[in-house]
Amino acid sequence: MTDAGADWLDILLTFTRLGLISFGGANLAEIERVLVGQRHWITPGTLASGFALGQIMPGPNMLAMTHYGFAAGGWAGAAAATLGFYGPTALLSAAAALAWRRLLGWKWLPTIRSALLPFGGGVLLAGVLVLTRGSVQNVAGAVIAAAAFALLTRTRVNAALVVIGAAVLGALIGL
Amino acid sequence: MSAPAPPPAPPEDAPHPPPAPLPVTPTHADLLRVFAGVAMVGIGGGLPAHMRRAALGRAWMTELDFAESYTLAQLTPGPNAVNLAAMIGARLRGWTGALWAVVGVLTPGLIAMLAVTVVTLGLPGGLPAPLQSGLRGAACAALAVMLTAALPVLRVVGGLRGGWVLALATFAGIGLLRLDLLPVLAVVVGAGLILHRPRPEQPERP
Repeated sequence: MTDAGADWLDILLTFTRLGLISFGGANLAEIERVLVGQRHWITPGTLASGFALGQIMPGPNMLAMTHYGFAAGGWAGAAAATLGFYGPTALLSAAAALAWRRLLGWKWLPTIRSALLPFGGGVLLAGVLVLTRGSVQNVAGAVIAAAAFALLTRTRVNAALVVIGAAVLGALIGL
Repeated sequence: MSAPAPPPAPPEDAPHPPPAPLPVTPTHADLLRVFAGVAMVGIGGGLPAHMRRAALGRAWMTELDFAESYTLAQLTPGPNAVNLAAMIGARLRGWTGALWAVVGVLTPGLIAMLAVTVVTLGLPGGLPAPLQSGLRGAACAALAVMLTAALPVLRVVGGLRGGWVLALATFAGIGLLRLDLLPVLAVVVGAGLILHRPRPEQPERP
């Protein structure tokens, strides 16, 4: 906890901005720039361990934001960060989905869908790249990722088991 | 049932059943329960894959519905998995459906994350080394989970005219060149709109 006294409203607004400028997942580079460099709410160590913790939590892996919010301002900070990061974007998403449904039958709809899908696919691939940079730091990590991918695509094993197995393996070999 | 009975006549005042766009419509409690369940099996990421399995398996959506929602969730800013939950919830049950889906997908993780946060941020010097190593291993597997979730979308993209070219251009612009997202969006989606513009002489695409 580098600064447990940060104002909750400040935290709310900062995390709202971080949520609204994240596309295709979280914009980790920007999160680091603002939270570590600009506001000094968290240390680089907290950023890394919070992100890794998010990976093994049930649910979205950017629950790390709750972790960062707690580091910045205790319980109120955790609540403000969670609400700010998830609330406005969820609202926007619901609005987009509802508008989309009302447009069914419009002749440009298949056109827009066909135009958006490749963009979505590309953003997704870019997110995989960012995640690769963030998590695969050596050959052992790459081997674990490749083995996990093979397991997930060729067997019906539960993904959570694969992740937990990889965690045990990582701890054993000192990844 | 060997004796065939005539089918019971509908009551005179029965309302016409509304045209159901989806075979099955979940209740709010279903959304809360299923999305909390998705969060719990989605430890380590891969939530979109689990949502797809949950929604398609219960006949809440079709594959195309899901691919559409998935793309929209990528386009709206913010965390994909929560956006996707909000979209699926909204599609199935409107605003309140979105609310319950989001609450469901966040609650298990929030409880777990807060519990771990209170402990670990209290530790002087951060997490012990073996735990750090374990988290790195988990992150590598989480990457693989995310990649498996991307495959269905990429399959749909592969079937579109110019789909691969535009997807790779997006990947290069955002992932490799680290360009601003909005100009890339404008160019790629603009090109896609021109490629797929409605043409009166063409039969409608399914």
